[in-house]
Amino acid sequence: MRVVLVEDNVLLREGLVALLRDQGVDVLEALGDASRLSSVVRAARAGGGLDAVVLDVRLPPTFSDEGIRAALRLREDFPGVGVLVLSQYVELAYSHELLGGGPGGVGYLLKERVADVAEFVDALERVSTGGTALDREVIAEIVRARGAGAAGPLGQLTAREQEVLALMAEGRSNAAVAARLHVGAGAVEKHVSSIFAKLRLPPATTDHRRVLAVLVHLRATAG
Amino acid sequence: MDDGLRRHAALALVVAVTCTLVWAAAGAGTFWPAWVWLGAAVTVTAHTGALHVARTAPAARPLAVHAWVSATVTSVVVAVWLVTSPGSRWVLWPVISLGALLSVHAVLQRVPRAASRRELELTDRVAELTRTRRDAVDVQALELRRIERDLHDGAQALLVALSMQLGRAQLAIASHPQAPTLTPVADLVQGARQHADTAIAELRHLVQGIAPPILADRGLVEAVGAVARRAGTPVTVRADVVHRSPPAVEVAAYFIVAEAVTNAVKHARTAHRPLRVDVELTGTHDRLTVRVADDGVGGADPGGGGLAGLAQRVAALDGTFTVGDARDGGTVLEAVLGYGHGR
Repeated sequence: MRVVLVEDNVLLREGLVALLRDQGVDVLEALGDASRLSSVVRAARAGGGLDAVVLDVRLPPTFSDEGIRAALRLREDFPGVGVLVLSQYVELAYSHELLGGGPGGVGYLLKERVADVAEFVDALERVSTGGTALDREVIAEIVRARGAGAAGPLGQLTAREQEVLALMAEGRSNAAVAARLHVGAGAVEKHVSSIFAKLRLPPATTDHRRVLAVLVHLRATAG
Repeated sequence: MDDGLRRHAALALVVAVTCTLVWAAAGAGTFWPAWVWLGAAVTVTAHTGALHVARTAPAARPLAVHAWVSATVTSVVVAVWLVTSPGSRWVLWPVISLGALLSVHAVLQRVPRAASRRELELTDRVAELTRTRRDAVDVQALELRRIERDLHDGAQALLVALSMQLGRAQLAIASHPQAPTLTPVADLVQGARQHADTAIAELRHLVQGIAPPILADRGLVEAVGAVARRAGTPVTVRADVVHRSPPAVEVAAYFIVAEAVTNAVKHARTAHRPLRVDVELTGTHDRLTVRVADDGVGGADPGGGGLAGLAQRVAALDGTFTVGDARDGGTVLEAVLGYGHGR
């Protein structure tokens, strides 16, 4: 995998580079801000190719939401490149903007998730191949906002189905959900079709479309 | 000169001149046009006086009215005296009386109210305390925002780096040739990483409670939008805000909306229909008005912990805070927060 990294904090930037290189990820460039990002991405694509860009949210010069804005520009200009945003806090507004920014691979994770190296690399791979990686905090916030009480549509789901739904919304494939819950792939498939039937969602073909369907449903019913 | 007054003066002049010409053409007997000239002069003087009084500060208005009335009456008296009986001296008495009355009025106006020194000192002190307290609240809001930035770039980033390094240590242990014998070490590292992650989550929670990052990053309207998104019930946000308010006002407004929405949702749990909440933010050049209305069951207790806390926040900004039942049910909460400048 070939990636470009944007993180202004030197300690975290160097940590991320070391961690990714340990895992055999090719870090082409590690930038401190997004000013040169477009030209770096263009050059990387013209060279040996580029799978994903990993970005921090707060970047120079204003340290507010430059990372989100840069991510949205990348998704528009380079739809083939996955964009993974890392942040020290999650905001539904940001996840909403990122998911709405086009069909390419996109991710939004809390920074500390990086410490679970295997999970992080898995998320980066999903994003590189057009998939989705959403932090479980984002999903939890959406579900909380939705009100998982008996009255809401999520109330019709069994506890197990709610677990499967959350993992699915994070962007995981059936196989990954099965591995995570220590059950067989067949069991997961049964849960998934039951969830889609109960929420009256059309069956989706790819993992990414499935995530979007689930999120759109949750958001729409949340009003 | 005012346009109306100019037209008035021109008209008066034309009438008076015409009368004078008529008088001359009719053989120039007794000079009766003098009365026309007098009438024209009186109306123009009154008009000028009225305009002048309207421009005077409210406090000085009574004296200005008095001065103009005296001047007009004096002119009329003098004119009448000149036309009718310039030989006698009766004119002195009304002129002296009017002058004396006006002088007394002017002197009374100049004497300051009998305010004691103590009263003046207290007034100054209150003004100073109001200003310095507002400064303190503004400084506190800025300090909290700075602390949030410092934590973000400092302690939180260090903890993330620590967690990251522990994660790498776990991988190194797992791939070590003697991995099975290192299980106790792996457990220790796993435990350390969990502690680091808990510390990160707690810091994040703390920061969210004192200086929500989205408020600093995107401003009040977006931050209130984030509250609406998390509410778990339909919340509409209408914002008519021209520019960003001072940090202390933004933080207070944010927590007012967050608390009001949380309360509305909490107390609506018993209702059988989905609750609606309307949030309105109206910002002008010197104040921000926050209004949160729901169609729940009403009956909010202004003395309750959450609302009392909000009232304190608003009081520290010298704002007004009201909570009450809406006419058609539900609760309406309104806070008006001044920006505190221009005192």
